[in-house]
Amino acid sequence: MNPYQIFDESVFFEEKVLKVFKYQIENNPVYGRFCKALGVTDPANIDEIPLLPIQAFKEKEVITATKQLSANSYQLFRSSGTSGMQRSKHIVVDPDLYKQSIFDGMWEFYDLHDYVIWAYTPGYNSNPNSSLVWMLNALIEREDSGLSKFLELDKPLLKNEIDEIRTSGKKLMLFGAAFGLLDLAERSSVDLAKDAIVMETGGMKTFRREMTKQDLHEQLANDFGLNLEQIHSEYGMTELLSQAYSRGSEWFDCPSWMQVSIRNPENPMQEVEHGEEGLIGVIDLANFYSCSFILTEDKGVMNAENQFQVLGRWNPKNLRGCNFLIDRD
Amino acid sequence: MKSHIAKVSQATRKWLQPDNLSLKKAIDKTVEEALFSFEDIKFQIRTLKQKVDSGQVEEWAKRANLSETKNSVGKKVLCLHAGNLPLVGFQDALGTILSGADYYGKLSKKDPYLLSGFLKMMDEADLDNQIQYSTELADFKNLQADKVLFAGSEESVSPVKEKLFKLNAVNDNTEFVIRTAKFSIAYLDNEDPDTLRDMIEAVFRYGGNGCRSVAVIVSPFSLSKVKCHFTDYVEEFWLNNPQLKKPKEALAYQFAYNKAIERDQAWLDDFLVQETDDFPDQEFVLNWVVGDHDKVKELRSRFGNSVQTVYRTGESIFGLDTEFLSMSQTPDLWWEPDGIGVV
Repeated sequence: MNPYQIFDESVFFEEKVLKVFKYQIENNPVYGRFCKALGVTDPANIDEIPLLPIQAFKEKEVITATKQLSANSYQLFRSSGTSGMQRSKHIVVDPDLYKQSIFDGMWEFYDLHDYVIWAYTPGYNSNPNSSLVWMLNALIEREDSGLSKFLELDKPLLKNEIDEIRTSGKKLMLFGAAFGLLDLAERSSVDLAKDAIVMETGGMKTFRREMTKQDLHEQLANDFGLNLEQIHSEYGMTELLSQAYSRGSEWFDCPSWMQVSIRNPENPMQEVEHGEEGLIGVIDLANFYSCSFILTEDKGVMNAENQFQVLGRWNPKNLRGCNFLIDRD
Repeated sequence: MKSHIAKVSQATRKWLQPDNLSLKKAIDKTVEEALFSFEDIKFQIRTLKQKVDSGQVEEWAKRANLSETKNSVGKKVLCLHAGNLPLVGFQDALGTILSGADYYGKLSKKDPYLLSGFLKMMDEADLDNQIQYSTELADFKNLQADKVLFAGSEESVSPVKEKLFKLNAVNDNTEFVIRTAKFSIAYLDNEDPDTLRDMIEAVFRYGGNGCRSVAVIVSPFSLSKVKCHFTDYVEEFWLNNPQLKKPKEALAYQFAYNKAIERDQAWLDDFLVQETDDFPDQEFVLNWVVGDHDKVKELRSRFGNSVQTVYRTGESIFGLDTEFLSMSQTPDLWWEPDGIGVV
């Protein structure tokens, strides 16, 4: 299968999924062993496909390849983490496939021609293998006005630079991790143009502050002088090469080659009902050369329109012991 | 106080008598409703009987220095009992009553018969304490307790408190004693049959439930080395103590995941043993860690408040408080959950 076929909308999603599954079970030793142990080698439909726990990216090299890779033949992404913490490792055999996933994914929701990209990524600068920084860099490089850039750390936004974007006839899309953006807003005394979009990429890379997502978005809207609808979010991670977007609400939409489902934590082969909380499962066909079938450690919920919400990290630590709440009648 | 302690001890002994028909009935009902296995209940009751018959109620009062001047008479103590193993709330109930405090117990619907039989016996023992119990939290409306005991996670503290405040069962001065320990760690340094039997008991009794049960074994031996030997003893244990509750499908998922990442493991039908030093966050799973005393200390520190006890099978571990493994499921009445005494 040509991996770029995953973007071909004339082919049914399920057909592409089953082809990718077959390719990966045969050529990805980690995923192959996983599926065989579960007795799933020839699924009839998507629902029968097992999702590999995301932790595998910390324990093993999760690669789908027909031949041995040489060290210089791939792009390596690693999750951030403090010392002593196990970090995920995503080996990206074809960075162009990732690039197309980034661009086409955004095109499904935004007219990229219209936007200048600014990125504020304080917590990520210490991670040279950040997939987010790579993605932002790709977006900045593709934009041709010369106004797109990574913002300097600890500097305020400047009015003349904001005006310059308006003069160019474009709009601003400002990317940043949640609390980095708050700091940027605090430091800056200017409002953004009303049509600007603030794209919060999740994560709490710079600080540990207690705040709900709703409160965070309200504060960002307030601090940047925008309507709440202009505060968007991106759901992505080192282990995924596609991103989902929420545009002014808490519900995320996926691009056409990505699908999210909410899984029963006690039996991840099973989806839970709409409205019920569970583990977020992702099929990301852009992970063609790693593993497209991932069970995350995030808690989520799905609505009837197949949009999903991210409710934080799933905490399984409470399953053992004498827990009064677990004893709920 | 002396007469109070004697009455409590006597009533406890009476309740544990083999000819106590109401206890027999409670056991039958619990087994009939498949709440716990007969073997686990029998084990628990036999353990309590041994402790009580050897004078531990009186000894507990002595250790707590209970006297006419030092007691909890007049204090209202609300115990929110869990129900993950038979009579898990017994120690809190007995300790509270022994201290002279008024006991209010929210019994678990997962263990409603056994503890209530004991409390009924206490109620009939002509004690001065108030003894009230119910499986409904709402029955403690307007209690205004002085102290609340419950086991739960850090995240569960707020919702439980909120509920209690809403019911007016507590106030701003109420003291909350919250247990967060979830499992215990054992260091296994030999393969003697007695040690292995103790280890199996510590891991598999009550289906691995309870914070005194071992969820992590640290040993200089690898799992692959002891796997077969270990499995024989597990089978012997299960033959005499069939496991009532079965693992969920997630365990098969964990098994497949271990295969995927080539982690050594042993699938024992109703339990999974896996070689990892990860936090033990699943039921019916035992984590096996190859390591020495330093590894035990590292894990004790990494897992923090989730660890109830570190057990040893041989020499003591320098710098760590430990208990003998053989005591894991047969603790003295005065054992301290989360390091805090009940009385």
